Parts: sequence; C-alpha cells; structure tokens
Amino acid sequence: MVLAFFRSSDHTPIEEVEAILVGMLQNAAIVYDTATEAVFGAGKSKEARKKVRRTDKQIDRGQEEVRQKLMVHGAVRGPDTYLPIVLAYMSVVKDVERVGDYAKNLYDLARYGADLTEGPDADVLAEHRELVGDFIAEASEIFESSDIDAAQAFCERVDEFTSVCDAAVREAHASQGAASDAVARALFYRFMKRIAAHLLNLVSSMILPIDQLDYYDEPAEDRS
Amino acid sequence: MTDQQQDARRLPSWARAVLVVALLYLFLVGVKMLEGGIKGLGAEYTDAVFAAVSSPIAGLLAGILATVLVQSSSVSTSTIVGLVASGVVSVETAIPMIMGANIGTTVTNTLVALTHVRRSAEFSRSFAAATMHDFFNFFAVAVFLPLELATGFLSRSATALAELLGGSASGGTFDSPIKAAVKWGAGLVEEVPALITDHPVAFPILVAITGIGLIFVALSSITRNMRLLVVERIERSLNEALARSGVVGMVVGALVTISVQSSSITTSILIPLCAAGVLALRNAYPITLGANVGTTITALIAAVGAGSVDALTIAITHTLFNLAGILLIYPIPRFRYLPVRAAEALTSVAQERKWLAFAYVVGAFFGLPVLGIILF
Repeated sequence: MVLAFFRSSDHTPIEEVEAILVGMLQNAAIVYDTATEAVFGAGKSKEARKKVRRTDKQIDRGQEEVRQKLMVHGAVRGPDTYLPIVLAYMSVVKDVERVGDYAKNLYDLARYGADLTEGPDADVLAEHRELVGDFIAEASEIFESSDIDAAQAFCERVDEFTSVCDAAVREAHASQGAASDAVARALFYRFMKRIAAHLLNLVSSMILPIDQLDYYDEPAEDRS
Repeated sequence: MTDQQQDARRLPSWARAVLVVALLYLFLVGVKMLEGGIKGLGAEYTDAVFAAVSSPIAGLLAGILATVLVQSSSVSTSTIVGLVASGVVSVETAIPMIMGANIGTTVTNTLVALTHVRRSAEFSRSFAAATMHDFFNFFAVAVFLPLELATGFLSRSATALAELLGGSASGGTFDSPIKAAVKWGAGLVEEVPALITDHPVAFPILVAITGIGLIFVALSSITRNMRLLVVERIERSLNEALARSGVVGMVVGALVTISVQSSSITTSILIPLCAAGVLALRNAYPITLGANVGTTITALIAAVGAGSVDALTIAITHTLFNLAGILLIYPIPRFRYLPVRAAEALTSVAQERKWLAFAYVVGAFFGLPVLGIILF
C-alpha cells in the first residue's frame, strides 16, 4: 500500500480507470452469457444464480472504484484535471453497470420459467442473443483500443438493432399466442434493447461532445 | 489544456527534478540571507523587535498569525529556523512560535471546507475533516506547551539529538559541503542589495527581506514542480489509502507532504474527498496526522543548510512535537478520536448556524492571535 507511492507504473490513473471499465464489461459479458444460457434452454440453477449475483456484485464494486478514482483524480489534480474525461467516465460507468443489471434481469426470465428455445421464432431469438453478446465484446474492444472509426460503425449498427427490439416488443404486444410467451419475448427484447443502448452510450462517449452523452439511444427525432 | 499541463509536457521529468534541486538550493540561500540580514542589524534593533515574542503565548500567537498570513507553515518555520540560526531568537522562544505555525497552517484546508457551505451534507463532512486537524493541533499545544515550559522535555530531547547529529554543542555550528555552497550563493545574491544601499540598517533589512522573498518563491515553486513530478504517485497512494486507516494513512500523508513540501496541499486534497463522501472522516484523520509530521521536513532542510546546532534543534523540536502529539493521542483508543469528535461537535453547531463557521475561522486564526499579541 505505502509502496504504491514509490512504485512506478506504466499506466496513468485514467488508464487504470479505463482498465476497470473494460473489466466491468468483461464481467457483464459473463453475467449475460450465464443468464442467456439459462433462458435459452439450460433453465434456472443454484450455480447459475450464484454466478450471476457474484459477478454483478463485482461490477458494482468496479463502479464504486471508478467513481472513487475519478474523485481522487480531480482532488489531486485540482484545476489541472482534464474535466471532459472525468465527466464522461463518471457518466459511462453507470452505463456499464446497467449492462450488468439488465443481463441479470435476463436471468430473472429463466427464474419465471421462460424458455426461449421453444416457438417458431426460436432461431431469430438465438440470433439476437448472439448479436448482443458480440456487441458487449465489441464495445469492450473498441473502448480499449479507442478506435474512433470502429466506434462510429458500432453506434450505427447498434442503433439499427434498437429499432429491431422496438418492433419485436410491438409484435409481442399484438401476438395472439400465450400471454406468458408474449411477456417473455417483450421483456427479453426490452432488456436486449437496454443492454444495447447502454453499450451505445459507452461507445458514443468516444465520439460525442460531453453535453450530448446519453441521447444516442433516443429516437433520431428526439436527439439533441 | 491548462498552462500547468502544457508546462508538464514541455519539461521532461529529469529536467524538472534538476529544477527542484536548484530551487532547494535557492531556498537554503534564502534562509542564509535571512539569518545574515537579521544578524547584520545588530542587537540594538533586534532585541526590541523580538522582545515582543519573548512571552510564550505571544510567540505562539505570532506563529499562528504569521503562518495564516503567508498560508504556509513551511515558509514560517523556515523563517523561524533562520531567526534561530542568526542567534536573535533562542530555541526556547522559538518553540511556541513553531507550535503556533502548526496551528496556523490548518487555516488553509478550513477555508477550502468553507467553499462547501451551500451544500449541507458536503459542508458537514468537509468542515469536520478540516477542523479535526485544527483540534488535533489545539490539543497537542494545550498539552505540550505547558509541559515544555515546565520541563523542557522537547527542547532537551531535540538538543541532544541536534548535538549528536551536528557534532557540536548547543550554540555552535557544524560544517557541511551544503553549508559552504549555500554561504557562497548567499554572498553572491547579497551583491544585489549592496548595489542599492550600503546603509548599516537598510542593507541588512534589504538582505533579510530578499531572503524571505527567496524562501517564499523557492518553496512555492518547489511545491508546484514536485506536485507535477509526483502527481501520479500521490493519486495512486491516495487511492490505496482510501479504505484504510491507521499507520498506512499516516505514512501516505507524510510521504505526500514531504514530496510536495506542503501539508496544506495534502490536507486540502482530502477536503473534497471527504466532502464527496469518498473518504471517511476516520480514514482521513491519520493521513492528516502524517501530513503534520511530513511538513517538518522543510525546517529540517533549512536547518541543515543553516549549519547551526540551535537551528537544527528547533527543526527537530518541530518534528518531535508532532510525533509526540501522535504518540499521546493516537495509540490510546479512548483518546484517538478526540479531535475528530470535537470537530464533529463544532460542525453540528456550525451546520445549524453557518455564520459560526466563518466566525470560528476569523476568530481562531485572525482575531484571537491579533488580540493576544496586543495583550501579551
């Protein structure tokens, strides 16, 4: 602990914050994979529930750590603090934490007994499950590499996907099948949309001005 | 990007480190010039001036006021070291002044805490964090000043240590390459006031003022440059110390303060952290105590440059006083959080009546010292 003062580091404190954010995303991916496995056939289990809760707590701890580190950064550097990055990370850490939360909510569907491997739309659901899993991994890579072009392309793709989710919720609402299936699908797409939207907020923070963060997931006509 | 960030980019770390060494040298030259200037005035002038602080209470209050006015105990304690080195102020007279400097330095973080006055919860946490430092120093002075006056335990211990380190008896001097180098530099800078006047009184006054100016400029530049040099280390060690209390916090507080040569910087960093609730009051407390000890390094450096056993004695007294304060209050669980509890009590009153917080600062750090100096 005291040795931290004498130890030199290859990473700046802000890079350490970025590493925590990436770690939180990796944990969110674990929660997502575990939750979707449960809702896509594996069903609820004590082990899966424990894993989801434990990993989600790690994500929460990551969020606290990021906020603390940013606060220390500002306090130590005073007027030399590069404020935009502190404000942006203070904002996006909440998005990353929410990715974990919504992934955890997906597990709740399995707890209620939903199984999305049944029904005529099973293939589409599985495809979307995989797509969002890829989004989480991709967001982590883009954020880590600070690749602006990839960020722009990612935002456009995820933006399109959120429209797909909206359409799927409308379809579930209009469906004439069993209520439990409709509710499961509506919630599934609701959670998928929120996960995608929070990933969008994270990645768009690399390209958007600080005052326009958090609006990318709104319908195009409501932005800015 | 701010000017300081641009500065930090322009100057490589090694060059900044060399700059800090040069500034340290300039600081020691300043102390030497102050000492030389005061000596040059002669006893007929200095006796009258320093008779004013011969009473321990007046000395204590003068120490508080001087430190509040320059907003730096490093400057005031280095000045005191210079005065002791000149022989004009005795070690016994300087001890209450040093204790006063310890109290005076806490005004900076208390002023920082007042900036949170509009947000009640933040104000409560930040004002308590700032005033626990005040109360620790009040308690330490309340215990050790009478004890020192009655027994001389601090000065005697410090004298023994200084004689051991300096290799000479009290009142004597010790030689070192640093001292010789500083003497040469001071002689060189004294040529400047000599160009302005050779009046027997004006010249030494000008030399002393130049010395104080050099101390002030050098110390503030050292603080600024060291902060840029070690900012990441400070950040990293504070991050590690956030959730810990006790010795770790003290060592971190001392290290940060030694590196930036300013306890005000360390304690002022803690205020927004406490205000935001990121740092608990009881975890900030040991860091503050560590800063109290760390700040004594400046006077020690000044004393080594001055090469006087008495100067070294007063600098060591400063360190011993702060260490003794920790040893008296911290190890006994019943006493440990007395300053924290006192700060919390004051804060709960000040939270109800905000004007009391302002009255406390003005009264404790300006009003009482001025009144006391007039009376004593």
